[in-house]
Amino acid sequence: MLLEVNNLKKIYTTRFGGNQVQALTNVTFDVEEGEYVAIMGESGSGKTTLLNILAALDKPTGGDVLLEGKSIVHLGEKEISAFRRKNLGFVFQDFNLLDTFSVKDNILLPLVLAGEEYTTMRGKLHPVAQQLGISDILEKFPYEISGGQKQRTAVARALITNPRLILADEPTGALDSKAASQLLKLFRQINEAGQTVLMVTHSTMAASHAKRVLFIKDGRVYHQIYRGQMENEEMYHMISDTLTLLATGGDHYE
Amino acid sequence: MNKGNRGMYRKLAMQNIKNHHRTYVPYILTCICTTAMFYIMNFLNASKGVGKLPHGADVQMILVMGTWVIAIFSVIFLFYTNGFLMKKRKKEIGLYNILGMEKKHIARVLFWEICVVAAVSLVLGIFLGIVGSKLMFMILLKLIHMPVPLGFEVSVDVIGNTVLLFCIIYLMSYLNNLRQIHLAKPVDLLSGEHVGEREPKSNWLLALMGLLCLGGGYYIAISTESVLTALTYFFPAVILVMIGTYCLFTAISIVVLKLLRKNKKFYYKTRHFVSVSGLIYRMKQNAVGLANICILSTGVLLMISTTVSLYVGRESVLEGRYPREIQMQVEEQELSDLETISETLLQEYELKAEDELRFHFTNEIMLREEDGFVSQPEGGYTSEMTDKVVGVAYIPLDEYNLYSGREVTLKENQVLLFVNTKKEYNKDEIRIKDKTLQVKEELEEIFIDVKSYLPTTTTYYLVVDSLDTARKMVEGAKYGSPVCSFFMYNLEGDESRFIDFTDELMERMRDKYQDEVYWMVEGRSANRDTFQRIDGGFLFLGVFLGCLFLMGTTLIIYYKQVSEGYEDHYRFQIMRKVGMSKKEVKSSIRSQILMVFFLPLVMAMIHIAMAFPLISRLMALMYLTNVPLFAVCTVATAGVFAMVYGVIFLFTARTYDKIVNV
Repeated sequence: MLLEVNNLKKIYTTRFGGNQVQALTNVTFDVEEGEYVAIMGESGSGKTTLLNILAALDKPTGGDVLLEGKSIVHLGEKEISAFRRKNLGFVFQDFNLLDTFSVKDNILLPLVLAGEEYTTMRGKLHPVAQQLGISDILEKFPYEISGGQKQRTAVARALITNPRLILADEPTGALDSKAASQLLKLFRQINEAGQTVLMVTHSTMAASHAKRVLFIKDGRVYHQIYRGQMENEEMYHMISDTLTLLATGGDHYE
Repeated sequence: MNKGNRGMYRKLAMQNIKNHHRTYVPYILTCICTTAMFYIMNFLNASKGVGKLPHGADVQMILVMGTWVIAIFSVIFLFYTNGFLMKKRKKEIGLYNILGMEKKHIARVLFWEICVVAAVSLVLGIFLGIVGSKLMFMILLKLIHMPVPLGFEVSVDVIGNTVLLFCIIYLMSYLNNLRQIHLAKPVDLLSGEHVGEREPKSNWLLALMGLLCLGGGYYIAISTESVLTALTYFFPAVILVMIGTYCLFTAISIVVLKLLRKNKKFYYKTRHFVSVSGLIYRMKQNAVGLANICILSTGVLLMISTTVSLYVGRESVLEGRYPREIQMQVEEQELSDLETISETLLQEYELKAEDELRFHFTNEIMLREEDGFVSQPEGGYTSEMTDKVVGVAYIPLDEYNLYSGREVTLKENQVLLFVNTKKEYNKDEIRIKDKTLQVKEELEEIFIDVKSYLPTTTTYYLVVDSLDTARKMVEGAKYGSPVCSFFMYNLEGDESRFIDFTDELMERMRDKYQDEVYWMVEGRSANRDTFQRIDGGFLFLGVFLGCLFLMGTTLIIYYKQVSEGYEDHYRFQIMRKVGMSKKEVKSSIRSQILMVFFLPLVMAMIHIAMAFPLISRLMALMYLTNVPLFAVCTVATAGVFAMVYGVIFLFTARTYDKIVNV
């Protein structure tokens, strides 16, 4: 098992100790090596909180997260950074590229942080850039390229460290439909090449590309769908129906 | 518009100021301080209390300059700061616009805001000014050695001036804000800050120009030997260095950073990677601000170090200018006349003369050409001559022997040579006009440093065999003086009578010579007061303006920190997500900021160090020839300044940390 999430709880307390907000009530699920999992839910359902905890950017109030059997919840600040660098790759809705770096330097950033030699870096850069179709724009800066290109740069940055797990947070959120479908195709290819992907989204379209979809509501995993032999279109309808049920009060579903 | 609505705009304005307290509080504080400082300076130069003091008018002349400097500084600086505040608020204003406020309504909110700022800063500023003016008055009097009178003065005129000046400034700021709102489209206003900025281009031409300007300025400062040249080239040098500084921060820095980036081995290291690329952008946004900080700091350092040294070194200045307590001089008359006049008067005043010096002396302003010295041509001094103008002075041998205790003999065509710039002449012959003289010996020192009479130029002192020879050497010279008799001595006795003695001595000389011949009497004590007024006035002005500029520098630093903070917050988060630890991110950002803010300080120090030779030559014009004293004052000023700068940096860095760590 690559990732195990056990009874995860997260309670936010407002600064003066007044109100408590329960973002995650009790979340449990597993991700196996080579899977492509989408987590769906409406805004406020706790998706982002979950992702932040998985990325070790936030600490849970209770429960545990194990990556390859090792808990990441109790790591110290220094280990967490190294852990993140070695094991995780991130793709965000708003790309999170640094304006001050060229496309190439943005991609190399995690490797530089890891202290690798320039020659090794260069060796890793070209295959990834080729795979993502951004070899021509390596010397450009983020403000000079399109949204789709930016997101592919971000994917390249996530991939270059050869991570155990890619975490994507609404990766198609800021893209037009053409760029979005290109990106989803890309994710699929990456996954088929053996990369484990965990994506958080509320786009049915995006989720329909995944092999498994988890639905979160009120801080709990409510339901999941496996693709099995389904085509994208079939998957799309299935997700869409589930969302309708959830929205109209899917209590009976459990 | 009905009454309720008007109240709403006012409330909204108050609310806005409260919400933006991080940027508005320092702005209002600056407004208050500049208002108070303007009031104080204007009060001092207009105050009857100061005017009534002996030499008060001189001091007020100096302070008028200060008032103008503060007025100009206030306009530029408050206008600039207001612009900065507006830039930060574009998004908010765009939002109002989209939420249905018309531009004229926004204008009304902004109007109330500036009214609040103006009212608060004028009331508090003038109050602070009135209180401070008394304090500053006392400090000024202390500095110029005057007794402090009782009483308290409030000048309505000065309040009027202050209100007028600052209302104009606020009005200008308001009009500028209106212009900005008017020009802007709501969508642009909304998207405001986060448009990815274009990477700055390497501008080799500008960088090269900057290097040349800096080099040129430094070269002038270091290589200039004569005081006259220093005076002529001082402002060109200042301008060159200023241009160079702007180029340094805008172009040279970028060129250097980009070269570093090209060096892959260096660039792709964790520490350098983030800093170098970050600095390229920071330099683009901050170059002009940093150059301003650098120039302001240099100005502060120069002002304070020179005025402090003049003040501290007053006695040495007085000694340089007046080698003895009393110096008397008369042209083409017997020296014994001077002695007679002095002796009678000394007896009347029950004083004794000591360290008496009697000598004769003649000199000519000449040009030093390759093959010798020639008379300065008719038509006077032109700027091409700057490097060649020298003084040539003649002293008779018997007087030299008397005061040096030596027994040198000279033939008619032989001379002893002394050059006051310590540069050895190193030739056996000296050719003056059509005469060639043999240099028998080059002297290490001469019995009296006649520097006080010819302070500005390189002077060649020639000891000649007799007074007649000296007289012949300057015969017919247009820019020469006839033989002067000098009589100088220190006074021993009741010091309180020195000044009266000097005045009376002057009267006696006037009785004897009328205006028929040129004569002069100077007393060190009699002139000490004037020096005290002027040095004290300058010191006051220097420190006062120094504080003002320092405040300006502080505010620029603070605002830079705040705006950087907001941007870095975003960068900080991305880097955290990509796998940099909190500590790494913090230290990397810290080091960038340190570099950005201490670069101007370091450059200012370098400027000062380079300017030192030039400034110390100019100080010689003010008779401050005590270079070590000036050096100590400069180093001390720089040290204090660096400490204050560091404290300000640490203080503002805390705000920065708060913003970044939200």
